[in-house]
Parts: sequence; structure tokens; C-alpha cells
Amino acid sequence: MDILRDTKLLVLIALFAIFGAALAVWGTYSGILLILALVVFGSLSLTWHEKHLKIAALIFIVALSLLNIGVNGVKFGIDFKGGTRIPVVLERPVDQATMSQLVNIIKERASGMSLSEVKVRAVGNTQVDVEIPSSDEGRIKLVEDILSHKGVYLGIVDGQIGVSGEHIFSKTIGPLTQDSLIRSGADWGVSFTVDRVGAETFAKAANGKADYPVYMFLDRPNDAALFYTRSEFRATMYNDSGERESLNALKAALKLDGGKNINVYILDDINFTDANSTAKPYTNKTFALISNSSAALYGQQLTEAGFVVKAVSDNSTKPTYMRSSTGVLILEKLEVAGLLSSPILSPDITTGIPGYHYAITGGVESTDPTVKAQLGRERTQYMESILKGGSLPVEISLGSRTTLPATLGEEFLNLSLIGIALSLIVISLLIGIRYMNIRATLPIVAISLAEFVILIAILGSFTIDLAAVAGILAAIGVGVDAQIVITDELLKKDEHSIEEKTEHAFEIIQTNVIVATLSMLPLLFSKLISGVVVVEILGFAISTILGSLLGYLLSRPAYAVVVEKILDIESKEKK
Amino acid sequence: MEIPNIYKMDYRLLAIAPLLLLAISLFFIPQIKLGVDFRGGTLVALDLPNKIDTVTLRDSLAAAGLQGEVRGYETAIGYKAEIEFPQSDALLKAEDLKAKFDKLLPEVTTLEIDSQQNTTKTTEYMEKRKEIEDVAKEMFVVAKMQYDSNVSSVNDIERSFSAAYKNVYSDYQDSIIGPISKNVKYTSISVRTVSPMLSASFIDTALKVGLVSAILCAIFVFLYFRIVIPSIAVIVGAVCDVVIALGAMGLFGIPLTLPSFAALLMLVGFSLDTDVLLTMRMLKRKGDPRDKAYDAMKTGITMSIMAVVSFSTLFLLAYFTHIRTYYEISAVALAGLVGDIFATWGINAVILLWYMEHRKGE
Repeated sequence: MDILRDTKLLVLIALFAIFGAALAVWGTYSGILLILALVVFGSLSLTWHEKHLKIAALIFIVALSLLNIGVNGVKFGIDFKGGTRIPVVLERPVDQATMSQLVNIIKERASGMSLSEVKVRAVGNTQVDVEIPSSDEGRIKLVEDILSHKGVYLGIVDGQIGVSGEHIFSKTIGPLTQDSLIRSGADWGVSFTVDRVGAETFAKAANGKADYPVYMFLDRPNDAALFYTRSEFRATMYNDSGERESLNALKAALKLDGGKNINVYILDDINFTDANSTAKPYTNKTFALISNSSAALYGQQLTEAGFVVKAVSDNSTKPTYMRSSTGVLILEKLEVAGLLSSPILSPDITTGIPGYHYAITGGVESTDPTVKAQLGRERTQYMESILKGGSLPVEISLGSRTTLPATLGEEFLNLSLIGIALSLIVISLLIGIRYMNIRATLPIVAISLAEFVILIAILGSFTIDLAAVAGILAAIGVGVDAQIVITDELLKKDEHSIEEKTEHAFEIIQTNVIVATLSMLPLLFSKLISGVVVVEILGFAISTILGSLLGYLLSRPAYAVVVEKILDIESKEKK
Repeated sequence: MEIPNIYKMDYRLLAIAPLLLLAISLFFIPQIKLGVDFRGGTLVALDLPNKIDTVTLRDSLAAAGLQGEVRGYETAIGYKAEIEFPQSDALLKAEDLKAKFDKLLPEVTTLEIDSQQNTTKTTEYMEKRKEIEDVAKEMFVVAKMQYDSNVSSVNDIERSFSAAYKNVYSDYQDSIIGPISKNVKYTSISVRTVSPMLSASFIDTALKVGLVSAILCAIFVFLYFRIVIPSIAVIVGAVCDVVIALGAMGLFGIPLTLPSFAALLMLVGFSLDTDVLLTMRMLKRKGDPRDKAYDAMKTGITMSIMAVVSFSTLFLLAYFTHIRTYYEISAVALAGLVGDIFATWGINAVILLWYMEHRKGE
């Protein structure tokens, strides 16, 4: 066997190297990579007839699995690792799109608090489970707070509150129809209706303020001041504007009657030792909003001046400007202050007469129609979520949590592993007894072990929970079946050749795999069938389907090769 | 392991045992208990430092107004207790009211907006508004909160309704955990509440998934064998197997839950596997049908035994740890695997043999 001349084997080796490297580099996608590898090696194993290649393919996949387990580890669910599961109950059933949106928002919020490994899963279409690997009361409370946080929406015109979230009829917030969009010449738009109080408030605030922007805030900090270093500030200015103009734009956007201005200061100009300095906090809780880099330099002084320093990412303090059609520099966005958008008031609603229907429209910077439509949709959704004040598309309430101590989880895991081992041993013994042939038994055991390793590697890159373990046991038990079919077929004493018998055996196995997969597949795709993902038993479905697939693609061909060899040897021995 | 060729005799007699099993199963199927997943309600699982008297606990909970079933177990890792509460009336009522409220809300909103601009609509608006306010007041009663009638717009009603609805849920949780914490010292607690909405969506999913699964498999079988009677025989075999498994669930009190449902799906696949093995061996081979059936049976039963071994291990695991998921899956799987032996080799094989011997005769 001259390895260097054997091109196909070289191909396998190359594939192994590629997948191995990919697993090491892109650990997060390891599950999908492994499944891909399985399919690739498996297909090659089926189409290439050279026997040593079939065995090689199996060995390579096992090696990849071991590599993955070593490099990326195995993820266990809270059933085995301990932790807390918080069910988030939705106030009404939601469709798939909304559910994905909700899950993403929750994930973002959770990761924003740097909670490592927060798992968010949809349960049915009325619940989301949030799992954290900790039973610490403090952390749990933190997560619960994050989840139940509801934002306050404010639309401010020239320092006066024009619209507030509580006066908008939530059911009326929605995208503008195509007709209205065309009529107003905009690329996207959201309309909403306010109640009487809202209408009067807005009329008053918007009176005579045509071409003024409505500054839309979500969770505007009302007791805060904003600080920049000069160099930082200048770096973020609009291309043709000056420092004074930019500062004025900021101040105009951040003022609010009732002593709730967010004042803006250039740190370089402040003399902290001067008792008459204007940079003073309103209360003892006033935040000093400042970027991380500037906080490193001025944080100490600000604290001494009586501020509560809130350092945020540099991006958060970066203002986004725009010019109105009349050439005025306007602050459009400022994350740290909660300013998310600043649409301009059109003249017909600034007459002072209360109106109830409003629309916020805007354009998109793209000429490509598909991109335009996509961006338009995104902006619409974004605007809707702001108006709904909290950016959660649906009201939620937190259900009772499940807490599993880590020690208990570990015990479960140990017992489960013992169970799997026991199962393998008993099955091996029985097979040995049935065929009275050690040489036939060993390969079966080896292959079952190989299957087990591969399953753990693939499932472990997603999550191994109780259902998954049950599925693994099922896969092992059912997996042996195919080997039994092959062995029985090959041991038959009839006039068919070994090749023909192997063919027969595979026909049966193939059908079996298809049928077993067909019965579980609908569960895997339950989202398409009923809109609901049954998370609890998904692991079971995946294990059993993977087990069948694995067997068909790799273990069976490899085993058949081994058994043929054994029969060959034995018939030669007889002679 | 040499079993005599049972097909050498009048094989129709072989069908007696499976048919008996079927009859018994049909009798027990109505007794199948629905688990929390499908029935709704709450399942509380407690890990305890020491053994407790389940009867005392049940009575103390009843005294606090909670009607629940209490079960205690000794597992390999300590003591465990499970308390199951039926769906709360308060939750059911709350869901009902919510549905009514959600239906009225858009209408009332539009009317309020219209009446603000056009006073002719005001009477209609006031009527509908009273209707929705009545629903809200009912919700406040369920939530045991005070309703503040000083509201200026339906927006306010909506907000306070939401608050009341949330309150019903959190009250429910507290009402369960409170008395439990008072009466039992536990090391860990898990509360699984399945609301009416959730249980309805689970039932819906289970039915649809089961149906799609059955149809897909049936179509495949017919497409693959292309002969009517053997295909029907295969499907009959699989159906009998599932029926026997369901009967076992009724007889032994294995509840129908999401895990046991998953196991039933798996059974469909597995039982079809043995039926397909039999049919392929019989149809695509030369030789005496009775011998072929016998050969297939030897292979098939070996297969079944292996599966029985691994699920028995799961069952043992379930016994030691009392993990419900393991118990429900393994119990159903074991019942089905045993049933499969009877269904495949007793019914499917018999039909097939009859078919082949009579087909030959023509």
C-alpha cells in the first residue's frame, strides 16, 4: 500500500486536515462543521469502493470528533451542569418572525450585561426560556431585571415633550401602506395615533416649529451631563461644521424643560478647582456620561466634582449629525443619551391644532430596489420598536424559575454516562453470544464506540441535555441493528457472492434509515408544521436522526468491510 | 439460540396472541393520563435532604388551598418529591378574559379615535368602552386587585389590564411556592408551569407532527414496495405496535407527555424497520416463504433484543435518578419494542405469508 500513490487516500487526508483546522479556528460552528464532515466523508465512503478507504473515512471522522471534543469541549445543558432556567411568558402567542426577533433582542440584552453563556430558547410560541449557568441569587435578579426592562419613549420638540409612549395607542403603531409611502415620497414610514392628551401635548409643543426635528428618545437619562475631550469631540464633527455649531446642535437636541437638560461640556475647558465652574451636578445622582477613553483621564476629577461617572463605549458617545433641508446642523443620533432618531416635523402638523394621526417617514441611502426594500423594512421595524417603548415586540412576564444545583447535575451526568457504558457492554456481550464469534463481535463494539464518540462531539457542540442523552442511548441500541443485519446476511449459506450479500444487506439498511428518519423528521421541523419548536425533545430527535445517518454513511460500510475480511480469513482457515 | 421455525405450522394461529394484546390495549387506551405538557398545570420537583411524609405534605398544601398530587421517591442520589397541580382556574379565566379583551381592543381604539374627531361616534364609543372596561374589571377581580375607574383613554385601560394579567401569573407562582417553602425543606426546586396557551400549542404540535410523520412513512412504504397488500401489511404492523404501546401506557400509568410522545414517534420508525426487514426478505428473495420468514424473524428479534437492552438501561437509569424524561421515553420504548415483536412476527408476517402462498397458488 503505497500511500503516496493512493490519490483517494491523499484526498481523505487533505480533507481531514482542512476540517481539523476549521474546527480549531471556527469553534462556534463546530457542530455544523462536524455534520458537514460526516456527510462529506460518508458520501465518499459510499461512492468509493476501495475497502481500506471506507475504514479510513470512519477513522478520520472519529479523529475529528476527538479533536473537537479536545479543542472545543462539550456543552452541557443545565440538567447536567446546574444553573437556572427562567421562563419568560409572552402575553400572547406570536408568529415565527416575532419570536425570532424577541429571542434576538433578549440575547442582545443578556450579552450586553456580559453574562457568559446565556441561552435563550423559544418554547412553543408563547414562551421563551432563558438559561444561565449560575444559581447565584444576585445574577438571577440581574437577568430578571434585564428581561423585564421596559423602555420609556419620549419625543421632544425644542425642549418640550411632544409625545410620550403612554399616550400612543399601541395597537395603532404600524408601517405605512404602500400608497401612503408613494404619496409622501418616502422609502419607509411608521404611523401611529395618539389619545386626546397626547394630541394636545403635541400640538402645543409643535406649534410653529415647522422644520424642527422631533428628537426621539428611548430611556433618556434625565439627570445627566455629557463630557467630551476636545480632540474626541472634534474627531466626531460633521465634515463642514465647526465646534460651536456642533455644540449648539448637541445642546438643542438634549435640552428638556423642567431642569432636565443634558448639558454638554468640553473637558479641556473645565477648571475643576474653580468653585464657580459651571460643570456641576444637579443632584448627588447626576450621571457624567463619558467615553471609556476619556474616563481614564478625567474620571477621578468628575467623581470628586460630585458626579456619578458612567463610562460607556467610545461608540456610544459618538454623535451622528445630519443637515436639514434648510441647512441646519441637527443631531440625529446619540446612543449614550438614548437619542435614536430625529425626524423632521412637516409644516402641516405644526399649526397648533391637535391632530391624532402621525407618521414618521424617511429615506434610505440606496438605489438598488432589493436593498432599499430590505433597509426600509429594517428601519420601519426599528422605529416601531422605539415607539412601542422597550423594543420588545410583546409584553412579557417572568415565570417561576428552575434551579438545579451543580452537584446534582454532575451526579445525573455521571449516572447517565455509566448507563451508556453499561448498555454498550451488555450489547457487546449479547452479540458475542449470538454469533459465537469474537472476531465478529469486536468490530461491532469498536464501531458502536466510534458512533458514541461522534454523537457526543456533534451534540456537544450544540447542547447535551436529558433528551439528547436518551437519544444517544436509543441511537446506540438501534445502531447495532444494522450491523446485525449485515452479519446475518453475510453468514448465510447460500449461492450468492459476498458482494451480492453485502448489497442485499445495504438495501435493507438503507430503507431502515430512511424510514427511521422520516418518522422523526417532522419533529425536527415542527416549526414549519405548527410554528412551534418543541425544545424539550429536540435533542432526542436530533440524536436519533444523527445516529441513523451516521450508521448509514460510515459505520455500516466500514463494518461490512471488516466482516467480509473476517469471513475471508475464516474460510481460508477452514481450508 | 435455536428457536423452532414457528411458521411451519398453521401460522394463522400466531396471530392470536397479538390480536389479544391489541384487544387488551384498546381497552386500556382510554385510561391514558395526560401529562402536564398537554393538560396544563404545574409540576414541582423537589430535591430533599431527607424523606418526607407525602400524605402530610398533601394535607398541608390542601389546607393552604392547593389541591395537588404528591409523590415521593428515594433515588440513588437522595430523596425526591414531585407535586403536580392541575390547571389553575384563575389562569384559565385570565386567558379567557385576555382573549375577549384582545378582540375588543382594536375596535374600541378606533372608536375612541373617531369619536375624538367626530362626536356622532361618541355613543357607540362609550358603549364599547363600557364593554371592554367590564372585561378589565373582571380581570381585576381574578387578580385580586383594585380597579381604578379614573381613566381617560383606552390606553390606560390597556396598561392596567396588562398589569392585572401579569399579576395573576405571579400570584399563581407565589401561591404555589409559598406554601411549599413553608412546609418542606428542599435543597433544590424546579417549577414547571404550563399555561393553557402553552398546553394548547403543544397538543396542536403533537397532533400535526404525528399526522405528518404517519403520512410521510405511509407514502414511502407504498412507493417503495409498490405492491398493495404487503404495503398494507407493513403499515398494519406499525399501527398495531403503536396501539399496543399506547395500551401499555394506559395500563401502567405512563403519562402522555412530550418525551413519551417523542418515544412514540421513534417507535413508528423502529417498528417499520422490522416490518420492512421482513417484507424485503420475503419479497426479494428466492425460497420457501416460511423459511424466509423464519430467517427474517431470527434477525429481527436479535435487533429488537438489542434495542430492548439499551432502553432497559435507560429505564434503570430512570429508576435510580428519577429523571422523568428518561422514565417516560424508556417505558414507552420498552412497551413498544415488546409489542413490535408480536405485531411484526405475529400479524405482519402472517398477512405476508398468506399473501405469498395464495399468490403462488394463482
